[in-house]
Amino acid sequence: MLRIARDMILACLVAAAAVPASAQERSAIKPGFVLPPDTARILLFRPSITVGAQSTAGLFEPNADWTAQAREALGASLREAEAHLGHTVIDYAAPDGADAAALAEYHALFDTVAAAVIEFQFFPGNRLPTKKRKDQFDWGLGPEVGTLPGLGGADYALFVTTEDAFGSTGRKVLQLFAALARVSVVSGVHKGFAGLVDLHSGELVWLNADLQMGGDVRTPEGARKRVRELLAGFPGKPADTPVAAADANRAR
Amino acid sequence: MMTTRLPNRLPRHLLLVVALAAAVPAGASNRLIAAGGRVSIARTPLTVTPASEWNRLGARPGRNAEVWTLDGDTLNALTFYAAIGEGKTLFRQADRREHPLPPVNRTMLLTDIPTLLENSYRSALGVATMTIDHVEPTPFAGAGGVHFSYSFVRPEEAIHVRGEGFGTLRDGKLYLITYEAPALYYFERSAAAARQVAESARLD
Repeated sequence: MLRIARDMILACLVAAAAVPASAQERSAIKPGFVLPPDTARILLFRPSITVGAQSTAGLFEPNADWTAQAREALGASLREAEAHLGHTVIDYAAPDGADAAALAEYHALFDTVAAAVIEFQFFPGNRLPTKKRKDQFDWGLGPEVGTLPGLGGADYALFVTTEDAFGSTGRKVLQLFAALARVSVVSGVHKGFAGLVDLHSGELVWLNADLQMGGDVRTPEGARKRVRELLAGFPGKPADTPVAAADANRAR
Repeated sequence: MMTTRLPNRLPRHLLLVVALAAAVPAGASNRLIAAGGRVSIARTPLTVTPASEWNRLGARPGRNAEVWTLDGDTLNALTFYAAIGEGKTLFRQADRREHPLPPVNRTMLLTDIPTLLENSYRSALGVATMTIDHVEPTPFAGAGGVHFSYSFVRPEEAIHVRGEGFGTLRDGKLYLITYEAPALYYFERSAAAARQVAESARLD
């Protein structure tokens, strides 16, 4: 919840800074990283999916029904997309007796790293000086991630997280009045992170992350759109069809 | 070992986040802290000499505080609280009436410093469980001080955070340096660099 609140504040800061949309980066790949098609075995960790409402005051209120709808719709869309990523993608199944808390902690760490990349690298006005150096993308989960049980010799782990807070009617009214007063108020947060982690080094080699992604994840068509945005530019993936690319552009 | 179960309420989290966001002055930006130079902390007598590069965040948790980091304050945060005087708090008070922060008191002992930090986190961050793992006397900033380690779970994120603190009291004012990072990978990755900064502290 704190993370969502922080994201909301960051979204407000980004909006208030009036940064041109083109200046806000949404994707990065580790310099020099190349993944030729069909050369890697990738494990998809169970996606973290949360859906709720954003109250007038901006607080996140989780909604179990919406979350269940999103989990089903996004799950189906991810299964469709896996077949077109250009690599062997297998859903990660933790072996019996595996430390579920350790798995959850690694996913939480991925979320924290992705949020830090947005805040301190993708947002140019807030970039850390040590992250400004040319061709630098130095983030990771640490080499110990490769010791998780049940990885079965996989080369990479794909982490996916979505968190959606739909603006309530009150929030939208507040946004309208705030706009009249020339004050920026963000209604709704639609966060999506997809990241590829090298299981041998623990390095984050590719990340797609945005606090305002498109697609209503509660519906099948919205979930497909979200998954297309999440996996856009995936290393080694065959080029998206023109229709998919147009959808991605409209979502911005 | 001290373990305290503490309440966890969402509004406090948002209040603190709003307070931190509001603490960003217009135009405040993150600055590079170069290796090898002597650096004054928040225009106070506290100085440190880092042996490696850090980034100083433009956003500050309090008037006499600043945060250095390598990858962002959620992944590694070296926080300085300098010359916090009688009646002052570690962070800005986001909600003085409902969630007051404990103030520094002239009668404080060195061993009260870990408790002050713990109680401040309880009130400001809504930390549900925090453990002070180890407390020992240590020289700090040219005087007697306290070194302690602690851990807590960041609310709602399932992230276990480890921390270390180095503190002292001089003329009734508190000087404290803390280093915090996720227990997974990040804490050990930068712990030596953080300790080096703390051990270089001087009060002129």
